[in-house]
Amino acid sequence: MTDVTSAPAPPAALGTPLPRTDVRPDRTNRRRRALVPYLFLAPVATVLLLALGYPLVRQVVMSFQEFGLAQQFGTAEPEWVGLDNYAALVDDATMWGVVARSLAFCVVNAGLTMVIGTAVATLMTQLAGPVRLALQTCLLLAWAMPVIAAMTVWQWLFDTQYGVVNWALVQAGLADFAGHSWLLEPLSFYAVATVIVVWMSVPFVAFSVYAALTQVSDEVLEAAQLDGAGGWQRFRHIVVPTIAPVLSVVTLLQIIWDLRVFAQIYYLQGAGGLRSQTDLLGTYIYNLGIGQSNYGMASAVAMFMLVLTLVLTIGYVRRLAKEED
Amino acid sequence: MRSTRIAVLGTVAALALGACSSGGSTTSEGDDAQGDGELTLWLAGNDTPEELTDWLVEEFESTTDGTLTVERVDWGELLPRLQTSLGNADETPDVVEIGNTQSPTFTNVGAFTDLTDHLDALGGDDLGPEGFIEAGSVDDSVYAVPYYWGSRYVFYRTDLLEAAGIEPPTTLEEFNDAAVALTTDTQSGFWLPGQDWRNGISWVFANGGDIAVKEGDQWVGQLSTPESIEGLTQLQELYTDASKAPKDGEDAEPWTAFNNGDAAMFMAPGWARWSIAEELTENVGAFALPGADGGAAPVFAGGSNIAISKASPDQDLALELLELIMSDEYQTMLAENGLGPANSTFNELMGAEDDEFATAALAAAENAKLTPAAEQWAAVETARIMEEFFAKIAQGQDVTEVAEATDAQLEDALN
Repeated sequence: MTDVTSAPAPPAALGTPLPRTDVRPDRTNRRRRALVPYLFLAPVATVLLLALGYPLVRQVVMSFQEFGLAQQFGTAEPEWVGLDNYAALVDDATMWGVVARSLAFCVVNAGLTMVIGTAVATLMTQLAGPVRLALQTCLLLAWAMPVIAAMTVWQWLFDTQYGVVNWALVQAGLADFAGHSWLLEPLSFYAVATVIVVWMSVPFVAFSVYAALTQVSDEVLEAAQLDGAGGWQRFRHIVVPTIAPVLSVVTLLQIIWDLRVFAQIYYLQGAGGLRSQTDLLGTYIYNLGIGQSNYGMASAVAMFMLVLTLVLTIGYVRRLAKEED
Repeated sequence: MRSTRIAVLGTVAALALGACSSGGSTTSEGDDAQGDGELTLWLAGNDTPEELTDWLVEEFESTTDGTLTVERVDWGELLPRLQTSLGNADETPDVVEIGNTQSPTFTNVGAFTDLTDHLDALGGDDLGPEGFIEAGSVDDSVYAVPYYWGSRYVFYRTDLLEAAGIEPPTTLEEFNDAAVALTTDTQSGFWLPGQDWRNGISWVFANGGDIAVKEGDQWVGQLSTPESIEGLTQLQELYTDASKAPKDGEDAEPWTAFNNGDAAMFMAPGWARWSIAEELTENVGAFALPGADGGAAPVFAGGSNIAISKASPDQDLALELLELIMSDEYQTMLAENGLGPANSTFNELMGAEDDEFATAALAAAENAKLTPAAEQWAAVETARIMEEFFAKIAQGQDVTEVAEATDAQLEDALN
């Protein structure tokens, strides 16, 4: 599952506007300068168009079609069904359950990740060199770990029969946890998934916020301290406003990532979770499309998800754009 | 800064697009081009021993002009990968192994080459089991032929049964009682994970129940018939009183607990025999799960079919490969490795008459049953309807209620 999201633009760069040099009002030169940004954009735009535009168009088209296994194997032509897929989707209680769960999961996970990530970043500014290096190494390892490898280890940890979590709890005197199935109850399933997703996302937030924190002016902080501002007040009124652009971008990314979470949920479902009670949007679409070969409906749900993502993030994007002005 | 704004918008758009394209197709190796004589064979899981594939590669290269690559695809990955690659001439494997219950979906949609005219070269009337051929046929045309079969039977610890003074059971009731009697605080009398429906369904079959039957042109769920409920109730008692296996556990590697000494009995396809720990082997015996009135219970027949992808550019070579698989040498090796051979004349090679395991395998195979031969059955498997159903039974939910709800789900999926 590789896509552009794995290589986000470094957020720190957004805060540094390019210097403008307004000399030589020569016409050709000006035209050339007007062209240059577009030339830089062209390769990215081309890649985006090829890699994402085509599937997107295909997806839009399919969402208005009856497209199943027969169409996939070319033994039947896709049938145009207009808005039928969307109508079925709106009427489907399962679908709204999935949407509600996805939103709740997204809010909880993005929130926890941001709070813990920012806390860890703040901690890093206070730590002595070697300790900070150790912490950063640990974070980096967690971040660099391939999802499936990490998931295998997490599954072992939470294994019903031989898992170390159950073992530790039993050793601690909680005998009820012998043979406890963590993934069977939806809430406990999501708790495990949250631990894993947050664990995987905190390093990115921590590093980004830490980078931003190093830009906070010591003089201003010192001055505030002399004026009698407490630790929390300094953090709230000086640090947060300074790093706000970075916080916004990182929150935005977290919301998008946690809404489209797939690998972790899919893996945990395979390890014991009951699919009908634990599906989130990503796995629901996958199951509809790849699982049940109902590509038309799957595309319709994916379109809905796209709109949902835009609705959730448009506020942030507008604020971000404003901050840049 | 307008340019930054555009950059931000662009990034967000890209992310949002990425968010939604994640459900897209899984890319496949696509390593065989147009009719170049490079064949790809997909085998599912690790059920086919290395020795057999090595022989196949060598033999294929010496008897034909082509070369052969064997790729193993995880069972869990098999369906999605077949769905995305079988239709595409550049990506499709040439010959594929497919679970017997998964065959109808692909044969009905026309993904496989018609083998009806070549059946004689592939074994003719000796091909079997019959249910596998039916699963691979549409009307009178055969598209997928049996690859191997494995009937499920019970493995047990002879020393533990002896110590408890229990004889190997001869009826299902005796079996259930024995399973409970062998259970202690730390040991399961019978190891049965909650989502392991492929073994659990034997209790439904043994009591005369079924999963679904076709009435007219409609599939009707049978899990809530009195016979099925009887079997499911017995099963729930086993889940509560005899098995300490995880209620969310699946049928993968059931021998782990057995090898650890945590279980007195477990049920699995015959090839599980080779996974039992060496220090246990002299204390391990086997019997076919007994039926309600003695004899062998109708268990779920495990195994695979094999077929040629219709989109493959190397049809002739693919057929030669299939003939090689059905050859005497290969069938002999299958049987000797405990996999039920597609050609039934080789059945006796599965073990000498005094081999307990071979006897159990053949006895269990006699009455083995398949899942409904419904075109949409693969959707039931990918939606994990049966897994969830059995997990709910294992958790102690009301049998009748869950069975009725699942029948409705099955009818929804199959019709």
